Amino acid sequence: MAARLLRVCGRAAGLCPRRGCGEAAGLRAMGFSQEQARRLLGVEPRLGPQRREAAVAQLLLLGLNAEAALGLLERSPGLLRMPKEQLQERAGELRRLGLDGGQLQRAVSRCPELFTLPRKRMAAAVRLLRERCLLTAEQLREVLWTCPNVLLEEPHQLHHHFQYVYFRMGVQQKEIVKARLFRMSFAELRNRHIFLERRGLYQTPYKGQTQTNNPKLKDIVQLSEKDFLANLACSTPEEYEVFKKLLAREEEEEENRGALYTDKDEDFDSEGSKAA
Amino acid sequence: MAALGGRGSAAAALLLRRPGPGLRPVPRRYRYKEKWAATAPRIPCTRLALHHFDMSYSLQLKDLWPSVRASLLCEQKYGALLNNFSADNYVTQELELMNATDFVSEGSKKAQQGAAAEEVARGESRLQEASGKVRTVMQTETMTQAETSLPLRASISSNIKCYTYPRGDITRFRPARQDCLGLLDYYLMDAASVLPVLALNVQRGDLVLDLCAAPGGKTLALLQTGLCGHLAANDVSISRTKRLYNILHSYVPKEIRETVSVTSYDGRDWEKLEGGTFHKVLVDVPCTTDRHSVMEEENNIFHKRRTKERQMLPMLQLQLLMAGILATKPGGEVVYSTCSLSSLQNECVIERAVDIAETQFNITVHVEDLSHFRTLFQDTFSFSDCRLGELVLPHLTANFGPMYFCKLRRV
Repeated sequence: MAARLLRVCGRAAGLCPRRGCGEAAGLRAMGFSQEQARRLLGVEPRLGPQRREAAVAQLLLLGLNAEAALGLLERSPGLLRMPKEQLQERAGELRRLGLDGGQLQRAVSRCPELFTLPRKRMAAAVRLLRERCLLTAEQLREVLWTCPNVLLEEPHQLHHHFQYVYFRMGVQQKEIVKARLFRMSFAELRNRHIFLERRGLYQTPYKGQTQTNNPKLKDIVQLSEKDFLANLACSTPEEYEVFKKLLAREEEEEENRGALYTDKDEDFDSEGSKAA
Repeated sequence: MAALGGRGSAAAALLLRRPGPGLRPVPRRYRYKEKWAATAPRIPCTRLALHHFDMSYSLQLKDLWPSVRASLLCEQKYGALLNNFSADNYVTQELELMNATDFVSEGSKKAQQGAAAEEVARGESRLQEASGKVRTVMQTETMTQAETSLPLRASISSNIKCYTYPRGDITRFRPARQDCLGLLDYYLMDAASVLPVLALNVQRGDLVLDLCAAPGGKTLALLQTGLCGHLAANDVSISRTKRLYNILHSYVPKEIRETVSVTSYDGRDWEKLEGGTFHKVLVDVPCTTDRHSVMEEENNIFHKRRTKERQMLPMLQLQLLMAGILATKPGGEVVYSTCSLSSLQNECVIERAVDIAETQFNITVHVEDLSHFRTLFQDTFSFSDCRLGELVLPHLTANFGPMYFCKLRRV
């Protein structure tokens, strides 16, 4: 169907060379309604018609329908400026990582920046997830389509986030992926985890411990704050607010102290850092 | 608690040592090397303490324990005890601008309002009775207010001023500053520690004994009332008594210091020295200092070499309380206080002491009712139910305490 649309678009562009109505006609041939075409022309109006149509065509090739593609472009107009080859290449790379059809669509609509991301950044993030976090290809695929923002994070931060959950919270990769961990920011996760830990509801498992009474990562990450406080932490919003402020202050002071002692810790050694 | 007066903010940050579990880096020389070690790995005392508290307090406090546990592990909240002897440098205005309030005067205002309302209600209830309606609820309210408003009004107007930030506000006080006379303007301490001193209700000219005075927060609060005829501050530890001296020299002018006598006897021997001579006695016994034990690794009472000492604590506390009771004149009052949540160190000691006083020494001791404290100070502190005495629970919005106090009157 996408190929048919492309052929139609080519013919339509040839028929009406004048800028305004020609473009609109071209877009209409691709499957956009008059209204949608108008909106589309409003995004990045200075752009040449070929580039616009090429970019839109690529998006349609991914399988997105007209309205979804339009919404995506309105949210991030930068996509229109990307050359067709780059879009194709990126889409190809994502397919190679295992994203296909519906998953790719969902990933892109969640996170349009996937296309504008520099190639090296994306490769670094993927390498981190495969080699350092030891995710299988299957798990990587699932992470990419559920939380595509993971590729946008700075690798160092991403690694820290993962290590925190793996070592400090004692959660394995399988559960991390199922819980859609990376949808929540690290700061918020840390707030919730430490709140539970200090209340005595979460214990870091010791070496060799397989079964724990800890609340599931899925619940910690996916529940809304209200439900989290009511059901998991059994606490009040006021307490949690004060706790967040106190924790933020503690962390600030920890950083300041770290800065104070930078030349002192040569023989410091972090415990239990296995997978780097 | 430690006074942050006079120290810089960088040093204050250093004081906040927090031994977190998990990814904390340990110097390589202290790291446990399994292959070479001859003994089991060192478990930090704070973790032992926390485990111990989890076992005992989850049964004692039930649903309240998670809240209390989280509060103990977070930074505590301080109160600023104003120094009435220092020159007025607009400290009060400065604190009010920062939104801090003096909870003692707030309590006394509440008491006066309560008394006024009670008068009105009493008049009303008389009318109601006359018209045939019996409003029992209103009447019991006025009765309790009548009973409690008199003693508490007297105790609350005790010149003690302690400023705290409101519930949920975590601002810190700036370090104390010296005035032109060289005296510091306020002393930062746990605001809940002021409550036993308020409960003691010192009257003008009273002879007051502080049996375990060091490091000196409550002693300073006693002096701030300005009503002590003579204050005897005693502590068995000489090093801690030095801190008491420092406080007296930094906060109290010479002429008041002369009314204080600092001694280093073992408090249990007090009756052999002078029995039955004091109007008011404060027995702030050594305890497992719950908050300190879960935060500080240094000098922690849950260390293995201090196990015997810790197990003998209730016995020591009982002996000190007995000495305190014997040191009071007939009609005098004793306040027993600890900074622990454990009922073994709190209510059980009181009950045993009352029993022993009756059977062995033929002294009748009444436990006084302090429930009016709860109503007056419930905006600032979080109280818990106890069968004897009052217990301030730490709560994240009001992170004071733990502080247990109980008042006994010798008949």
